[in-house]
Amino acid sequence: MSKLTTLAEAVASIPSGSHVALSGFAITRCAMAFAREAIRQGLKGLTISQCVGAMDADLLVGAGAVDRLIYGGGSLDRFGRLACVNRGIESGALRAEEYSSLSIAFRYLAGSLGLPFMPIRSLRGSDLMQWIQERTGSDLASVVDPFTGETWPVLKPLLPDVAVVQVQTADADGNAWIAGPKWDNTEQVRASRRAIVIAEHVVTGDVIRRYPEQTAIPGLMVSHVVELPFASHPTSMYQVYDYDGSHIEAYVEATSSPENLKAYLDRYVYGVKDHWGYLERVGGLERLSSLRADPDRGY
Amino acid sequence: MPTEYTHSELMAVSGARELQDGQVVAVGLGLPVVASFLAKQTHAPNMTMLFELGVIDPEPVDCGVGLADPRVWYRARVLSSFVDILGSILHKGRVDVGFLGGLEVDRFGNLNTTLVGDPKGKFRHMIGSGGANDIASCAQKTIIIMRHEARKLRQAISFVTSPGYLTGGESRAAVGLRGGPSRVITDKAIFDFEPESKEMRLLSIHPGNTLDDVLSTMGFAPRVPANVPFTEPPTAEQLRLIREVIDPNRMYMG
Repeated sequence: MSKLTTLAEAVASIPSGSHVALSGFAITRCAMAFAREAIRQGLKGLTISQCVGAMDADLLVGAGAVDRLIYGGGSLDRFGRLACVNRGIESGALRAEEYSSLSIAFRYLAGSLGLPFMPIRSLRGSDLMQWIQERTGSDLASVVDPFTGETWPVLKPLLPDVAVVQVQTADADGNAWIAGPKWDNTEQVRASRRAIVIAEHVVTGDVIRRYPEQTAIPGLMVSHVVELPFASHPTSMYQVYDYDGSHIEAYVEATSSPENLKAYLDRYVYGVKDHWGYLERVGGLERLSSLRADPDRGY
Repeated sequence: MPTEYTHSELMAVSGARELQDGQVVAVGLGLPVVASFLAKQTHAPNMTMLFELGVIDPEPVDCGVGLADPRVWYRARVLSSFVDILGSILHKGRVDVGFLGGLEVDRFGNLNTTLVGDPKGKFRHMIGSGGANDIASCAQKTIIIMRHEARKLRQAISFVTSPGYLTGGESRAAVGLRGGPSRVITDKAIFDFEPESKEMRLLSIHPGNTLDDVLSTMGFAPRVPANVPFTEPPTAEQLRLIREVIDPNRMYMG
């Protein structure tokens, strides 16, 4: 059954207040077109989760769409910090529940397997443990291992309402391939009630059936498939296009103050009708072609 | 024959010397990347490098802006996931050395990358943990590399993101953590940890610095043995590799 639809319809399937897991890692494979459309549609009160905070989450936080962020810390690598997230944490406007990368991955893994909790060696003795307990009350506890008697921290499963995942290739049923490292994406999708797949390229089901071992996301977990090129811009899509360094630098500059951020949102989010308008605004085919990846290097 | 070198180059070389052939090393962002590639291209060709997001043994030819940059994944042997690298390899106990940078460290090797200020009052939020807490908690040992300044080497850090020896003595083992920091490498000196108290102890001073230079720029007094040698300077070949092969654009060696 074809689940192909537009980005606008896929976003419209998400009510305000939902828990959305996002596929980005710092400046790579971020759900940027999704974030821009969610802001245009006025989604509010979202809970966002991801192992390492990325540009997709930062933009949504900056636009005021997020109440709660569950993540393991993050940055824009050498470009800068997650300025909107950090400002939200410092002012108290954003409820940030901050873990480590593996703790979030284990929370998704527990959710994906239908387990009641997941023990972890990490977090012990750190101030992260105390912060999580203060901010969540009940998402981190401890149990005594019935086999050894040792006490272990245990994490509550993460069960997002929807995972939004940027991939290189999918078919119309949502069977999707992720080239390169997948960080938390496969566990995210499996822990979530459903997934929205945004693919650079939608191929026939025959192509998927020829290399089924590459399928990272089974279509049965997917509710909507959207085909959109350069949907992770300005972040990178391994083997398809490189990150747009000058645009990310402009974003870092824009997020340095709320006034500059408003101008950025007006220009690149509210000031364009849709993703096609955005692609024209950032330089159109001429600019985007210069970002295309070399097939050997992948960037 | 004297060879000119920078503080960063000596830090990278000192880090590389701590790594042994055949080890499995989880590498954080920045100088640890340069040190690890240097070790691999000199005395430790069979070392296995891991990046938390799912990268094993890359051979980059271009310098990246961070772990999320596909430049640093180039020619990897495995591209997988957090659960694979931080779970099946690190949490399982297969990582020999974790290699981390930080904003602040205290005398027990506890590391802060989360915030500067008062966590209950006014503070600036920085990066957070990423995989650093996991690496510091689960690796057999960790090496910390950071700038030598009083505001970074502190008596009390703002936030313990990644555990060192906690409050010293047996306190780390008491919460069920193995390993712990083995070295702190700065641009003035190298430290280890006194086995009983688990306090930082001066191991060597980088050439060109006096004992006073080292101690007067720290926020706490480390243990100081009677005789402290100078750190061995980089070789010409190590410097050539850093400058011409590993970081020709001086992204990390700036």
